[in-house]
Amino acid sequence: MKAYYTYFKLKFITGLQYRSAAWAGISTQFFFGFVYIMVYIAFYESGGKNIPMTLSETITYLWLNQALLALVNQFTRDEELFKMVREGTISYELARPKNLYFMWFFKVLGQKLAAVTLRFFPLIIVTSLLPEPYGLGLPVSFIGFIVFLLSLTIGSLLVTALTVLYPIVTLATMSEKGIVNLMITIADILSGIVVPIPFFPLFLQKISSVLPFQYISDLPFRIYVGNIQINSCILPIIIQFIWLILLIVIGNLLMKKNLKRVVVQGG
Amino acid sequence: MSFIEVKQISKTFRVAKKKSGLKEAFKSFLKREYLDIKAVDDISFSIEKGEIVGYIGPNGAGKSTTIKILSGILNPDSGECKIAGMTPWKERVKYVKKIGVVFGQKSQLWWDIPAEDTFDLLRDIYEIPEEEYLSTKNDLIEKLNLKDIINIPVRQLSLGQRMRCEIAASLLHSPEILFLDEPTIGLDAVSKQLVRDFIKKLNKEKQTTIILTTHDMSDITTLAKRIILIGKGKVLYDGSLKKLKNMYETETYISIKTKDSLNIKKKGIISKKKNKEGYDLVINTKLISISELLTVLSHRISIEDIEILEEPIDKMIVRLYEDYQI
Amino acid sequence: MKIYFKSLAMHLKGELEYRVNFILSFLSQILVFFTYYFIIIALFAKFDNIKGFTMYEVLLCFSIIQFGFSMNEVFARGVDRFDRLIIRGDFDRLLLRPRNIILQVLCSDGDFVKSARVIQAIIVMIVALLHLHIEWNIMRVITLLLMLLSACIIFFGIFLLAASYCFYTVQGLEVRNVFTDGGKHMAQYPIGVFSKGFVLFFTFIIPYAFVNYYPLLYFLGKKDTIIYGLSPLLVIIYLLPCIIVFHLGMKRYSSVGS
Repeated sequence: MKAYYTYFKLKFITGLQYRSAAWAGISTQFFFGFVYIMVYIAFYESGGKNIPMTLSETITYLWLNQALLALVNQFTRDEELFKMVREGTISYELARPKNLYFMWFFKVLGQKLAAVTLRFFPLIIVTSLLPEPYGLGLPVSFIGFIVFLLSLTIGSLLVTALTVLYPIVTLATMSEKGIVNLMITIADILSGIVVPIPFFPLFLQKISSVLPFQYISDLPFRIYVGNIQINSCILPIIIQFIWLILLIVIGNLLMKKNLKRVVVQGG
Repeated sequence: MSFIEVKQISKTFRVAKKKSGLKEAFKSFLKREYLDIKAVDDISFSIEKGEIVGYIGPNGAGKSTTIKILSGILNPDSGECKIAGMTPWKERVKYVKKIGVVFGQKSQLWWDIPAEDTFDLLRDIYEIPEEEYLSTKNDLIEKLNLKDIINIPVRQLSLGQRMRCEIAASLLHSPEILFLDEPTIGLDAVSKQLVRDFIKKLNKEKQTTIILTTHDMSDITTLAKRIILIGKGKVLYDGSLKKLKNMYETETYISIKTKDSLNIKKKGIISKKKNKEGYDLVINTKLISISELLTVLSHRISIEDIEILEEPIDKMIVRLYEDYQI
Repeated sequence: MKIYFKSLAMHLKGELEYRVNFILSFLSQILVFFTYYFIIIALFAKFDNIKGFTMYEVLLCFSIIQFGFSMNEVFARGVDRFDRLIIRGDFDRLLLRPRNIILQVLCSDGDFVKSARVIQAIIVMIVALLHLHIEWNIMRVITLLLMLLSACIIFFGIFLLAASYCFYTVQGLEVRNVFTDGGKHMAQYPIGVFSKGFVLFFTFIIPYAFVNYYPLLYFLGKKDTIIYGLSPLLVIIYLLPCIIVFHLGMKRYSSVGS
C-alpha cells in the first residue's frame, strides 16, 4: 500500500507544478461558466415547458461543474499512459513488482487531485461572491452538503477508474484515435458536464441511467443544489458505489487480458 | 576579409529556477525566480572558403547556440557576423539560400512519405530550376547511394539510410556553406564511414565550406584539419588538430615482449608494469622521445616484440576539458 | 500557393498511409460532432426560443462558426498546432528556408480527418436553411458567403494570435482555448443573447459579432440595413494586426530563442 501512496504523492506534487496551465484553466473555466450561464439565463427568460431545474439550481450546478472540471472530466487524457501503450514501452512497467492497474489508478488520481486543487479555490471563492443571479449558491442543507461530499468522493474514484480504463482499452485497439476517442466524448456528454442530465430528452435519460457516467458528477451536483431529495438519494449512491467496484474489477481483468495480448505480440 | 567573419558575439538566456518539494511547488506557483546563463560569451573567429572546421566542446558549451546564430535562427545580444558578405539574421531569405543545415537529432523529411516527395517540395521552396535540380539530385543519389531508398516511406528507413537522405535534402540547392550538427550520431560504423567519405568528397569537389559539430572524435580526425574548441561559451582553442595533439598527446603506451628483466629509471617514464610476457610502459613523449627510449632499452635487454599505442583522442579531449575545467 | 497545395497533398498522402485509422477517425469525428448539434436540439426541446431566435436560426449560426473553425483545422493546422513546431524545434527549420514564414507554417501540417467536421457543418447549414423560409435574393446570398468567409478568417486570426503567444512561452497555452474553443462555443448562439460587456468585447476586440450576429440579423430579415449584411468585410481588417503580432513574436523568438 505504501508504494501506491508514494506514487500518488509524487504525481500529486508534480501536478502542482503546472502553475501556468492552472491559471489558464481557471480563466478558461470562468469564461465557459459565464458563457453557459448567460445562455441559460437567455433561455429561461424566453420561457418554456417542462423546465426540469430552476435557474438558480442550474447556475450553481454549472459553477460546481467548472470548479471541479479538472477532476470530473474524462477528456483530459493521460498522454504518458497512451504513449506507453502506443510505443510499446509498457513492457518496462510490467517489470515492476506491483499491480500495474493500481499503479495507473493512483497516478491518475494524483494528477486529477493536483489539477483540481490548483483550480478549485479561486473559482469557488469568486463565484460565490458574484451577484444574483450569476453566483454560486449555498448547498441545500447541511446534511445535503455532507451527502454531497460523500457522493463526490465516490464520483472522483469512479471517474479515475474510467480514465484508467481508456488506455487499457487502447491496449487492444493499439491506437486511441477513432473508437477510444469517440468513447471518451460520448462518456463525457453522458456524464452531464456539457448539459445537466435533466435537460436530456427522456429516452437519453433512460439510457444514461443504466450507464455509470451520470454518477460521476451529475449525482453529487444535483444533491448539492437540492434537485435530488436527501431521502431519495440513498439508492443512487449505492448504485454509484457498485459501479465503482465493478469498474475496478473490469479494469483489472481487462488489463490482464490485454497485456497478455501485448506480450504475445512481442510489444 | 574572410568568407566567414565572427566578431565578439555574445548571447545570454534566462532560465527559470526549479526547486523540489511541496512547499516550493506552491511558492513557485505564485512567483518564479530566474537565472541568467551566458550561452555564448565574446566569441570571435574567421573561416576561409572551402575549409572544414570541427566545432567541439562538451554538452552545454554553447555549440548549438553558435550554430543557430551562424545560420540566422537566433540573433546575438551583441557582436557582428558576416558570412558571404551578409549578416545572417538580417537578410534571412537571401542568406539561407546559401546555406544547408543538417541536424543529426532532428529530421526535416516527412515521416510518412518517401524522401523523394520531400525533395520535390524542397525544389519548389528553394525555387531550383528543373535542370539544375535533376542533375544535383541524380548526383546526390549516386554519391550517397540513395537509389533504392528514396521511394520508401521515411519511417521505414534505418537511421543510417535516413541520415543519408537528410544530407541529400540539405544539399539540393547546392549551398556554399554546410552546417553539420552531429551528423553521425547513432550511426553504425559503415554508415559513419559512408557519411564521412561523402563529406570529404563534397568539400573537395565543390569547395563547400563545412562547419561540423560532433562528440565523435573520429569524425574530427578524419574530416577536419582545424578545430575550434569551445567551453562555457568561450573559445578555448582555435587551430590545427595536429598542434593540439602535439600539445596534449604527451602520454604514449609501449608494450614490450621480452624474457629479460628490466631495471630502468629515467626521466619521462611515468609507469612500468610487469606482465606475463614482458613490460607495459607509459611515457611522457615531451620528456623522452620514443626513439630515445628504444635506444636505451635495446642496450639493456633483448626485445622480441614491441607495440606502441598513442593515447586515444577521446581520452585526450577528456584531459583537455579537465585542464580547462569545462 | 503551389507549395501550399503540394504540401497539403503530401499531408493527405501521409494520412492515407494509415487507411483504417483514417476511416475510423473520420467516422468518429462525424458522430462526435453531431452530439454538439444534439445539445442545441435538446435544449430547444425544453425551452421555446432564446431571445427570439428559433432552433434552426441557432443551428444556422452554429454551423457557420463550426464551418470556419473546422476549415482552419484542415487547412491551417500548422497554425493551430504551432506549439508543437516550437517545442520540437522544427520552427528553426522553417527559418532556414527562403520563404515567407506564415506560408511555411501553413504548409507544415494538415489534418484531413477534420474535413468530416466541415462536411457536417455544411449538412447542418443546409438543413437549417431548408427549414427557415428565407426570402432569397442576391444580397442574401452574398451575405451568407461573406459570413462563411469571415468565419474562416476570424479563426485564422485567432489561431495566429495563439501561435504568436508560443514565441513567448508554450506554458499556459491552454488559455487560447478561451478564444478558440470558448469563442466557438459562445458564437454558436447569436451574440445578442449575451450581456453587454461580452457583446462589446466580441464586437470590437475579437469581432465575432460581425461574423454571425449583425449579418445574421440581415440574413434572417430581422434587420433591413444593408451595412449589416456587409459587416463581415470588417473581419478582414482584423487579420492585419494578427499578422503584425505574429511577426513581432518572430522577432522576439530570434532574439530570445526557445
